[in-house]
Amino acid sequence: MSRSCFAALLAGLMAAATAHIDGDAPPKTARANGIIRGRVELRQPPADNAPRVSVADLGMGKTHEPPDRRSVVYLDPAPRAAFERADETRPRMDQRDETFEPHVLPIVVGTTVDFPNNDHTYHNVFSLSKTKTFDLGRYAAGRSKSVRFDRPGIVRVFCDIHSHMSAFILVFAHRYFSLSDSDGAYRLENVPPGTYTVVAWNESAPLESRRVVVPDAGGEVEVNFALGRR
Amino acid sequence: MFTSRLIRCLLTLAVLTCATPTSARAQALPERPIQAFDGKVALGAEVIATGGNADDIAFFNYTDYEHNALRMFRVGVSGLYRPAEWLSFVGELRSEDLDSPTAYAAYVRLRPWRNRSLDIQAGRIPPVFGSFGRRQYETGNPVIGYPLAYQYLTSLRSDAIPATADDVLRMRARGWRSSFPIGSALPGPGIPLISGFQWDTGVEMTWRTGIVELAGSVTNGTLSSPRLGDDNSGKQLAARVGVTPVVGLVLGASAARGAWLSEAVAPDSSPAQQSFGADAEYSRDHWIVRWELVWSRWGFPHALTPDTTTTLDSLGSWVEGRYRVTPRIFVAARADHLGFSTLHGATIGTAGLPWDAPVRRIEGGVGYYLQRNFVLRTSVQGNWREGGRDRARTYLSGQLVYWF
Repeated sequence: MSRSCFAALLAGLMAAATAHIDGDAPPKTARANGIIRGRVELRQPPADNAPRVSVADLGMGKTHEPPDRRSVVYLDPAPRAAFERADETRPRMDQRDETFEPHVLPIVVGTTVDFPNNDHTYHNVFSLSKTKTFDLGRYAAGRSKSVRFDRPGIVRVFCDIHSHMSAFILVFAHRYFSLSDSDGAYRLENVPPGTYTVVAWNESAPLESRRVVVPDAGGEVEVNFALGRR
Repeated sequence: MFTSRLIRCLLTLAVLTCATPTSARAQALPERPIQAFDGKVALGAEVIATGGNADDIAFFNYTDYEHNALRMFRVGVSGLYRPAEWLSFVGELRSEDLDSPTAYAAYVRLRPWRNRSLDIQAGRIPPVFGSFGRRQYETGNPVIGYPLAYQYLTSLRSDAIPATADDVLRMRARGWRSSFPIGSALPGPGIPLISGFQWDTGVEMTWRTGIVELAGSVTNGTLSSPRLGDDNSGKQLAARVGVTPVVGLVLGASAARGAWLSEAVAPDSSPAQQSFGADAEYSRDHWIVRWELVWSRWGFPHALTPDTTTTLDSLGSWVEGRYRVTPRIFVAARADHLGFSTLHGATIGTAGLPWDAPVRRIEGGVGYYLQRNFVLRTSVQGNWREGGRDRARTYLSGQLVYWF
């Protein structure tokens, strides 16, 4: 992801954290929350996260399935209601077959993520991202360590031992985000009526955004994205 | 001279940085290998710029007559072509101090059976002996300097040999430029116990099962003197067994034997260099500690009179460690010793002297991760030698390491 995209995303996440508006001013009449849904397609297949070319190995390295590079779609800014409830879930990012699973993990600020090692070898999870810098050290199979994420932004996660292992944690200040499924479909539910900017993120393409209006009567609004260079 | 070389180094670094793909460059510096043809081709690079105070008196860190490990600009471009899951072509072109690039590695890698961890590599191949030789990349070497056994030049040469013990003892602490009466008449650099700056050519096989890894090789040169082509019709056999009894602990034992003298100085049959090694690595949390020992014996075609020996021995051993203080900062240190067997001369060392001057080295440093694959580090290295013109030297050096 380019630096400009990162800056734009970070600005969006920060703005969402402090936003006091919820789109257009709501009318006094009874309103119903809506759903924003759609698909995110990638114009180019994402590059494989190949290990460094290591000429010093005495044999073939393991082959790894390319990670499932899903997209994240979120509102920017988010409705006021987004800040009223804390997320109590405790997600995990596994280390299995020398891969982080999931490869992309969106969470809410204040969430603690577990990093269990389910491999037969050491792993050393770390990040040098400004949003959260941490180093869990080397720990063996069956053990788990955790990290709490207190600031919105993007956290790139690596393993210090296996250069091909990487993952993304997107830390949001609100709950209006959705991780696409393997087909690229996403769904943002319980969105109050209003006008929003919907942003689509994928690690292999620049950010794209759309203006969308959720009507007072609620209902479903479809917004599709095609990310990457034409 | 140094200024112009520095300018060339900086220009090379700039060109390398600018030559990277746009998508990767947008993140500052690229961090993934460049791939093409559906991932069948991958290219990577490593740039190491090291600077420190000059050392044209003691030559503690010289890797040959011209290159100093603490004042070196090294660029390596590595590539891998994997047309099939069982077949790869691997290579690395490397330049030190902007000399013409050489093929540091160039070999074919095969896995004959899909379900067996048996790999064969042929060409200019990584060493099976010991541990350090295969982990010089990135920050696998925890400090800037090299272990003495892999870098320090003893006075021995494969193209010139002493006639007597005095010829050997006269060259104590002069490995950077030694000379002997038999063979090449020109002064030249000696050889280390194991060359850390050149790989040998031959065939190797590695088999892994459970916690055990076995590796063996047949090569043209020896540990001290790796060669592209054979110069004495004698091959080196080398083997290593590695065991991982628990996750985080690796124990290894190695052995090697091969003809080390060129036919020019030993036309009938070249005597052997024999080596044994042991290594151990333990890591946990933010620590990694390693220990390695290398014993080497070089044979000669005649006794080194007045001593009756026909062999000279050397033993190198060191312990090193690294601790990651914060996600970006680490500290590292190495304590190292290189010793030599005793030799009795007629006019020098009549009571017996180590045939080369024993050396001790302690190095400590700190590193900072500017980016995951971009490290700035500095170290202080103290050297003490029991012989030579300059017996103790301290070096302060700094290094930038970048790879993708």
